[in-house]
Amino acid sequence: MATRGIDFANLSLKDALDLAILIEDEAQERYEDFAAQMDQHRTPEAAKFFRYMVENEAKHGRELTARRLQLFGDAPRSVTPAMIFDVEAPDFDAARAFMTPRKAMEAALASEVKAHAFFVAALPALKDVQVRALFEELREEELEHQHLVQIELAKLPPESGLSEEDFVDEPAPQ
Amino acid sequence: MSATGTCEYQPKDYKSDLKPIWCPGCGDFSVVQGIYRALAAIGRPPHEIAFVSGIGCSSRIPGYTTAYGFNSVHGRALPIAQGIKMANPELTVLAAGGDGDGFSIGGGHIAHLIRRNMDITYIVMDNQIYGLTKGQLSPTSQKGRVTCTSRFGSLEEPVNPLLYVLAYGAGFVAQASPTDLVGMAATIEEAIRYPGFAFVNIQSPCVTYGEEAQQIKGLKAISETLASLGHNPADRLAAMDLAQHYGEKLHLGVFYRNPEPPPTYGDLVKERQALLSKDAPPKERILDLFIKK
Amino acid sequence: MRKDLVFGMAGSGGDGIVSAGESLLQAAAAEGYHGVMTKSFGSQIRGGESSCRVRISTDPILNPGGNLDVAVALNWEDFLKFGAELPVSGTTVVIYEAATGIPENQIPLVGVTPLQVIAVPIAEMAKSTAGTERAKNTVVLGLIAGWFGIGAVAVMKGIRKKLAKKGEELVEANQRAFDAGRAFAMEHPLKASMNVVASETKGQTKLITDGNDMCAAAAIFAGCQFFGGYPITPSTEIMQFFTDHVWKYGGSVLQAEDEIAGIGAAVGASFAGKKSMTATSGPGLSLKSEMMGLASIAELPLVIVDVQRGGPSTGLPTKTEQSDLFAACFSAHGDVIRPVLAPTSVADMFRVTIEAFNIAEHYQTPVIVLSDQEIAARKETLDPIDTSAFKIVNRLVPTSAELQDYKRFKQTENHISPISHPGMIGGTYLASGIEHVESGAPTNSGNVHQRMNDKRTKKFEPLKDRKDLFEVAGNPNAPIAMVAWGSIAGVCREALALAQAEGLDVKLLVPYLLYPVAEGVYHDFFTSVQKGLVIEQTHLAQTFKLLRMHIDLPKGLRPLARSGANPFLPSEIVAALKTLVSELQRSHEGNLQPQE
Repeated sequence: MATRGIDFANLSLKDALDLAILIEDEAQERYEDFAAQMDQHRTPEAAKFFRYMVENEAKHGRELTARRLQLFGDAPRSVTPAMIFDVEAPDFDAARAFMTPRKAMEAALASEVKAHAFFVAALPALKDVQVRALFEELREEELEHQHLVQIELAKLPPESGLSEEDFVDEPAPQ
Repeated sequence: MSATGTCEYQPKDYKSDLKPIWCPGCGDFSVVQGIYRALAAIGRPPHEIAFVSGIGCSSRIPGYTTAYGFNSVHGRALPIAQGIKMANPELTVLAAGGDGDGFSIGGGHIAHLIRRNMDITYIVMDNQIYGLTKGQLSPTSQKGRVTCTSRFGSLEEPVNPLLYVLAYGAGFVAQASPTDLVGMAATIEEAIRYPGFAFVNIQSPCVTYGEEAQQIKGLKAISETLASLGHNPADRLAAMDLAQHYGEKLHLGVFYRNPEPPPTYGDLVKERQALLSKDAPPKERILDLFIKK
Repeated sequence: MRKDLVFGMAGSGGDGIVSAGESLLQAAAAEGYHGVMTKSFGSQIRGGESSCRVRISTDPILNPGGNLDVAVALNWEDFLKFGAELPVSGTTVVIYEAATGIPENQIPLVGVTPLQVIAVPIAEMAKSTAGTERAKNTVVLGLIAGWFGIGAVAVMKGIRKKLAKKGEELVEANQRAFDAGRAFAMEHPLKASMNVVASETKGQTKLITDGNDMCAAAAIFAGCQFFGGYPITPSTEIMQFFTDHVWKYGGSVLQAEDEIAGIGAAVGASFAGKKSMTATSGPGLSLKSEMMGLASIAELPLVIVDVQRGGPSTGLPTKTEQSDLFAACFSAHGDVIRPVLAPTSVADMFRVTIEAFNIAEHYQTPVIVLSDQEIAARKETLDPIDTSAFKIVNRLVPTSAELQDYKRFKQTENHISPISHPGMIGGTYLASGIEHVESGAPTNSGNVHQRMNDKRTKKFEPLKDRKDLFEVAGNPNAPIAMVAWGSIAGVCREALALAQAEGLDVKLLVPYLLYPVAEGVYHDFFTSVQKGLVIEQTHLAQTFKLLRMHIDLPKGLRPLARSGANPFLPSEIVAALKTLVSELQRSHEGNLQPQE
């Protein structure tokens, strides 16, 4: 997780909303990529879970976009996608071929934890009251997301202790 | 950036519809993302970019961008890239590949692009292993490494890519890693903007054949930004000193940037063309050169 | 009086015999003659044996000639090293350096009695007139002017021009040496006069150049904008010509770090939308083969000139051979067709090189121009060429409508897809060595591979109907035939004329297009043929085998093949044809036996 060139102290509400949208966009795109990777590598259950996450992130993104439109219309955006890297998106190396649904959920949970930490870390620097309120709200939502993933995790049967790597074919030379 | 501060190009504009064949978790996923971001920051339209690679897992990368791509043959990204650049110096030309492609089978080309100062950015995704062929020893594998072609440990010292290019006089030499994504995008951007040959070594872990110590966690443990060390990128000797720690430490950022970049090969070509084309006879009369009176 | 003379001269590099040959050729051109000059050297960079052959004629010249009419030996050791390259016969006048101390009746030529042998104190004359033995070559030119009537005025005019900057003193010294040689010739007339008749075209503009320079000039004329290469004998002069001239036309040239990078850069330049080329010789062709395969699968236009020398490996770097034929047709792995063209002379190098670019551009393919050391290095006098008569073809680019939904490797009726290049909006695609679908995206589908192989090979079908890439000479219904290409074709053209003069019913096929093999053209040609020769400078009879691979050849067709360096003589080919004629007669007589 990292950011580049964000001036938290002077962040306006519009910028903060745009940033939040970009964070959701990035996460959504990453989950889409992960789902595609799982399709490509014949790991359908993890693919299904990642698509569930795509929906979650998209839904959250849509809500934020609606708010942004309501408050600021189509006023130009001054924050850019290059300012954030992996804030709520799972790390690139979190995916693995043949990963179990549990591993996929754990990866998602880790990224929700990461996102929560981002908002926690950003709060002290924020001066604008409205922005603070928004970040606090977003921080709480990340907790809520964590909770949702934990519910899904709890539904899973206990792990057998066997590793998927013990069963799969060796990689194919190209 | 436009007047309103909005980027005209978004990273997504450089992302193609092709789905990568890379193993999930591969470091190259973040490298291609870094490239999207660097290109968006620069804002060059995709059709004005030529992106060339050789053969290897990482050499699939041009196909994952919307630029004009060329996934060529093993070790030959650089020769093809320089032909493109000479044929059309106005293009932004990138070359990329793995450590085997760049420092083993194609190792002879780097020195010459450097001495010609071809305005090309060369990105090596260095994972110390041959992944595409299932885990053989690579030119940057450390001595003693056990692989399927070195069952009893390798007997060779690895190539030091950073020292290699610094010694040949490259004007821009940097290292990046997925452990610092923002830094990686910024470094690639700076490399592309540098007028001349620019080299970026990216430690990009192989999740399938890579050793534990070379995964993200292991790399994070040995990484340090050059900025945090107070390194002055104009100091070539200091850069070479730091570059000696390749393999033990992961120094991130710009090792060397020539503070006074010399003219590029393309600049010199243009100059020569302008000078010599002044009094040139039309090419329809080229056979007049052979007239003996 | 003679209409045609073949000079062969040899000495050590320090004797300047090649430079004398060049002066002689230029003088002959100035006097309106046709001329051809070839050079041959030992392997030393400087001071080894060197030789040249200059053929001068009132008529257009088909080849550097067979047996020498005039042999000049500045020392015998060097002369003999060239063996069959400088063949002396019973009709040869032999001129040699008297200082060798060998009497005229004891010259070291085994099994041959020349027409006349003359020892001339060449070195002594050079020393006494010019003050240095180095002027031996000028004395030789004086001798030639005196005995054979070539260059009496033009030689010194040329030398004067060449040395003008070096001062009058040097010019005068050469003039004295030349005059001394000429005077010696006048004082010692030949037993039978060998003066050449005056040319009727004296004063007309003539060009003089060699195959390599002609190739490079033709490439620039055809619109070539980039050359990538690496020095290799005997092709290097092509790159040198580019470094002198291509900048003037907005192009550039790269002396690359190796053969692979040379062709790699050319592939890159072609991808970037420019006509490009590389040139090499056998060892370089081997190194370039992977890139040739890449250009084929990526469907990129590219011209590769291979100036053949003796192989395999380093082989005979300074001698000519045709043994790269298989490599030109078949090197690089996979199922691929790569057109191969061959010029037969310096003059038609112009046309063949332009044709190579046209085919490369139209069919989006690498094309090999199979030149050879003889054509590359031989100088010919040429009549001016009307360049406006040549059509230039450029690659098919996508229309703006096609760029709306662009597919680089789109299947089309003629299997040729419009090709975009960087800078073209809407045209972005992935070029690749890996198999790809129509969009350019990689695939490993067997079905797509089959379809794309179809596309990449079927597109060449129309090329096989290009009858203009073949020359047929002689009676079209003749029962006896010759097939020859490259520099050997010139020898066969002369052999054809000689054979016809002797009443033999013979014809000749010269393919400029060697590959893909145009089955139809050969089929038509062979219909009347009962006996014939495929004449080639390869040890393994590669041309014969290439044809047999594709065509049902007449039973009586056989190879006349030999390794490089040693030339074919028109007379030996005529002798071989005569054998075929008598075989044919015998078999006809056999057929006339009454049936039992």
